[in-house]
Amino acid sequence: MVRYVLRRVVYMLITLFIIATLSFFLMKMLPGSPLNAEDKLSEEQKQIVLEKYGLNDPVPVQYVNYLAGLVKGDLGISFAFSNTPVTDILMDRIGPSAQLGAQALVVGTILGVLLGLIAAVFHNGFLDYTSTIIAVIGTSIPNFVFAGILQYFFASELQWFPVALWGDFKHTVLPTMALMIFPMATAARFVRTEMVEVMGSNYIKTARAKGIGEVGIVFKHGLRNALIPLITVIGPMAVSLMTGSMVIEQIFAIPGIGEQFVNSVIMNDYPTIMGTTLLFAALFVAIILIIDLLYGLIDPRIRIGGNNS
Amino acid sequence: MKLKKWALLLAFGLLLGLLAACGGGDSEDAATEGEGTEQSADSADGENVLHFINGDTIPSMDPSMATDEFGFQFIGATMEGLYRLDENAQPVEGIATGHKVSEDGLTWTFTLREDAQWSNGDPVTAHDFVYAWQRAVDPNTGSEYGPYMMSGVIKNAEAVNEGEVPVEELGVTAEDDYTLVVELEQPVPYFESLTTFSTFMPLNEKFVEEQGDKFATSTDTLLFNGPYTLENWTSTAQEWDLVKNENYWDADTVQVDRINHVVVKDPATSVRLYEEGSVDRATISSDLVDQYSTHEDYQVVPETAVFYIKMNQTRNEALANVNIRKAISMGFNKDALVNEILNNGSIVANGLIPKDFVNLPDSEEDFREVNGDLVTFDLEKAQEYWEKGLAELGIDSLELELLGGDSETSKVMNEYVANQLSTNLPGLTVNLKNVPFEQRLDLDTNMDYDLQISGWGPDYLDPFTFLSLWITDGGNNKMGYSNEEYDALLQEAQSELATDNAARYENFLEAEKILFEDAAIAPIYQSAEAQLVSPKVQGVHVNPFGATYEYKWASVGSAE
Amino acid sequence: MEGTTADMEKMKHSSTESAPKELFVLAQQKEDTSEKISGPSRTFFQDARRTFFKNKFAVLSVILLIIIIIMSFVGPTMNDHGIDDQDLARAKMPARVPVLENLPIPGFEGVLRDEFKGSNVEEATNNAYSRYDNQKDFIDIEVLSEGDGSKNSAEVRATYRVYEAKGMEDEYFWLGTDSLGRDQWTRLWEGTKVSLLIAFIAALISLVIGVAYGGIAGYYGGKVDDVLMRILEVLVGIPSLVVILLMMLVLDPGITSIVIALTITGWTGMARIVRGEVMKLKNQEFVLAARTLGQSNKRIIIKHLLPNISGIIIINTMFTIPDAIFFEAFLSFIGLGITPPQASLGTLINTGFDNIMLYPYMLWFPAIMISVIMIAFNLIGDGLRDAFDPKMHK
Repeated sequence: MVRYVLRRVVYMLITLFIIATLSFFLMKMLPGSPLNAEDKLSEEQKQIVLEKYGLNDPVPVQYVNYLAGLVKGDLGISFAFSNTPVTDILMDRIGPSAQLGAQALVVGTILGVLLGLIAAVFHNGFLDYTSTIIAVIGTSIPNFVFAGILQYFFASELQWFPVALWGDFKHTVLPTMALMIFPMATAARFVRTEMVEVMGSNYIKTARAKGIGEVGIVFKHGLRNALIPLITVIGPMAVSLMTGSMVIEQIFAIPGIGEQFVNSVIMNDYPTIMGTTLLFAALFVAIILIIDLLYGLIDPRIRIGGNNS
Repeated sequence: MKLKKWALLLAFGLLLGLLAACGGGDSEDAATEGEGTEQSADSADGENVLHFINGDTIPSMDPSMATDEFGFQFIGATMEGLYRLDENAQPVEGIATGHKVSEDGLTWTFTLREDAQWSNGDPVTAHDFVYAWQRAVDPNTGSEYGPYMMSGVIKNAEAVNEGEVPVEELGVTAEDDYTLVVELEQPVPYFESLTTFSTFMPLNEKFVEEQGDKFATSTDTLLFNGPYTLENWTSTAQEWDLVKNENYWDADTVQVDRINHVVVKDPATSVRLYEEGSVDRATISSDLVDQYSTHEDYQVVPETAVFYIKMNQTRNEALANVNIRKAISMGFNKDALVNEILNNGSIVANGLIPKDFVNLPDSEEDFREVNGDLVTFDLEKAQEYWEKGLAELGIDSLELELLGGDSETSKVMNEYVANQLSTNLPGLTVNLKNVPFEQRLDLDTNMDYDLQISGWGPDYLDPFTFLSLWITDGGNNKMGYSNEEYDALLQEAQSELATDNAARYENFLEAEKILFEDAAIAPIYQSAEAQLVSPKVQGVHVNPFGATYEYKWASVGSAE
Repeated sequence: MEGTTADMEKMKHSSTESAPKELFVLAQQKEDTSEKISGPSRTFFQDARRTFFKNKFAVLSVILLIIIIIMSFVGPTMNDHGIDDQDLARAKMPARVPVLENLPIPGFEGVLRDEFKGSNVEEATNNAYSRYDNQKDFIDIEVLSEGDGSKNSAEVRATYRVYEAKGMEDEYFWLGTDSLGRDQWTRLWEGTKVSLLIAFIAALISLVIGVAYGGIAGYYGGKVDDVLMRILEVLVGIPSLVVILLMMLVLDPGITSIVIALTITGWTGMARIVRGEVMKLKNQEFVLAARTLGQSNKRIIIKHLLPNISGIIIINTMFTIPDAIFFEAFLSFIGLGITPPQASLGTLINTGFDNIMLYPYMLWFPAIMISVIMIAFNLIGDGLRDAFDPKMHK
């Protein structure tokens, strides 16, 4: 087990290293530099600015410096915000994104499980179709369309929640709703399929035959077994939350990391783009790893040993 | 079994209900609480507070480094230079109480007030100006606006910036703590208005050096000497406050205790926030004007920025042909564009210098009125020139790229202009390329475009701020335009005629005419901004250049 | 009892020899003969097709999609408005459809309608007038509340007959016009065509790359597999939207760039699945048999492996298409997608958002269109998954 984890961590680091390299050279291919309206600067000034960003060195030297910085957690200095380290920008922005993501994941999954459960229990009934339709719509409608509709009805028309901005809890309600629709739908579909299968399995029949109450069967025997594989879809969910945040944060004017990323792309702020890409990738790889490990721990049927392949 | 299933459903229902109740309860509490605190903050303890929206974060608060609208805005609110613009855009007392100009117009001696203080209690002295101006042109600083604003104005600015002479040679000295002597390269009639600009703000040397690279990256690393201090700000902050500066020499005049700013980029969101009452001012984008033009708080703020099509003569040789350029500059309907698409009080531009910007020195007539419409939409003439141009080039069709901005309104406008030109000029195909502002600047610098929709806002109160754009090989020309006569007229205006303002303006009038005889650019419109402004907001005035809004004389009226 | 008539028929046919103890025999014979009888009469794919066509939602989705695809070609030719025929004089006209305009369904009457407030009815009415270009003759006012003189207490509903006011009684814009006076019907179908085109091409390329990559990794295994899978892991390690955004930064905006950006990330899922399937299959008896018989690798792959994984490939593709549609819309939505005057569902939704308060029809039609397409693809995907799942065959 320890060997397996170690191996995975090493792969993870290699992955991150390659991503860092790729994004570094990709950025080098692009036009643009911290000098914007370049010609207003004299030649000497340009040199000084480039020096400050370390852009005067040959590319390989820049690359080594960048990697050395990475190890120390230094992602360079933003082009767009003068003198602000990218690390500071990211630390500044991660809070709101993390909060929204966590809220959406938790609420979305709980609601999704309930929805899937209802669908499974009333298999092929009216409620099944209703919750299935909700789930299909949830996975189908783009989240930015959904966010716009929420903003229009709940904030502008009904005025139940603030239109946008970041502040107290009520500001998080609408963006959370917009973000949670995908995890909810995914969880609902997944749980329904699993539950239908589980409920038809022999041990449930046995339990029924033993005269255990329906509620007990559903929750104690059914749901528990249906939930374990749910962990496998949390990965895609987390990713959808990350990327979803790019648009949702923009629509609700939330100072999060996704909003920052889209802005950096638009402003040609390469150090910040690279930093954000790495952060996203690191989170992503870490989540996948954790899920795999959790899955191995929870489900005794799956053994992730070091010497199986 | 059926019954049991329903019992289960009931359980779900209860659970969901419970969840909903919890959630609902929470948010309601939060809502009422929020309103409560908001009100108490606004009125209960008698604090005068305004809430505004800012279109983006502030990229830089360093007076030497700032290059954009938001930087200028907040530097203007928190710092004070020699002079400050009043509601008529006339310079009034700032740190300087007055000045004397030598006979030849080259030496300006400013007398500074002795009661001005930095927010850390240090006095504001002439040395602070000397340091700041030297810093702005020092090549080590890497400032864009320093050399741009000071070269050719302050003695030796260019040489210092090129690294030819040490910074100490810059023509600014402190005779004593409260007397500042400025030597100019040549007489500059608009120098007074220049001193209100961010780049000319003083800096506290000791503090700046102490902060080093960290200077001006957050509230803690800034010093203020203006009507307000900037609080809760970091360079990536999405929300910050302007708070009345008790150390300001004229603090008694400042009526507002706090001006809160939040970053909101989406215009529709801004308007909704306004309607909700969370902010006191919101810009109405063109799409929303229809809806809000009847709103009682609706107003149009005229601006002095002019937008035009730049025609790059170097990439596509067809654009080097004056008839082709003339055809393009007459070939699209500007009235329809301004009235239907922009729809926000913007007006058609038929020249370069904006309306209501500068008056002729003697007659006090508006520059624009005097020079009149230099190029208008004229389909027949446009097609005539077009045919002629094509014949001269020996081609019957032409493909051009139109580079434009990517904001909501500009996207619609770009599509319209492209379509108009393609429709009105037979054989012309216009391909659109909408890019973000930063990328457009890059492409502009590299002259990598055919046509570009671009704009310019003035940096000081003089036609030269616009006309200097198209001097041969000028830093913002970037379209290969060159006309010796034009260059000579401007050169003369800035040197021999510098003390004779009336003659200078004659040159400017002439130069503008030449620009359009050559059809160098195709003017589109002079911008304006449609806004919803709460009656609470009083005494805020809009500057024609530099900081967009002046808050020193602002006050908070009643909400009704 | 979930036994279907088909099962019953099967049983009847097979139970001709022993008649008397019907029930008892039937059960036994079902076990024995079901394979023999249904095997030759229907192949796996025929079975799958049957199951699929029994799924009402999936069939409905297929029909709907076919109609949408046909319409995306036919639609723009159904009136004589081009995709970039601008005319500011007819900008922002609401939808108007013959026949429907006379029915009491809101949305297609060619009128703008809104509520206006004021301290009294007169003020509210005036607000309505000035909102609608002061065309008093063409504005119908309906008083909702008289008001008591206090601010915004009175409310009227104004209906503005735009087409009459602009002297275009004979003109019909079925889905209205946008802010440049372009026909939304034409643009909606053109946009749908572009979006679908991008999605199909991207999905197809992803399919080819994914199958080839996954197939090679899975079939050859060992070192090859190790290397290929490590590369894949790295690629999968970056959230696809990030890669797509970075690619759009490098490439000039346009259809080709979007397709490239989408395929760069799109094939990984397919490759993983195909590899897994091939690994599973290649050690099964029929492949071993083929190999022992001396068949070439190529033949084994084409003849034996591909048909067996085609189901999963099709299903997977059905889910990559809506993904591609979503990403395209997302890119256009944040302004990195299609260049105007070309339209796609994303750009139409984006413009719709800008006008949502006043001219919501500009958002609803493309939003409904994209939702319908996405739902249809998902339902078809679900249907196919069930169809290719032997457990679901009845």
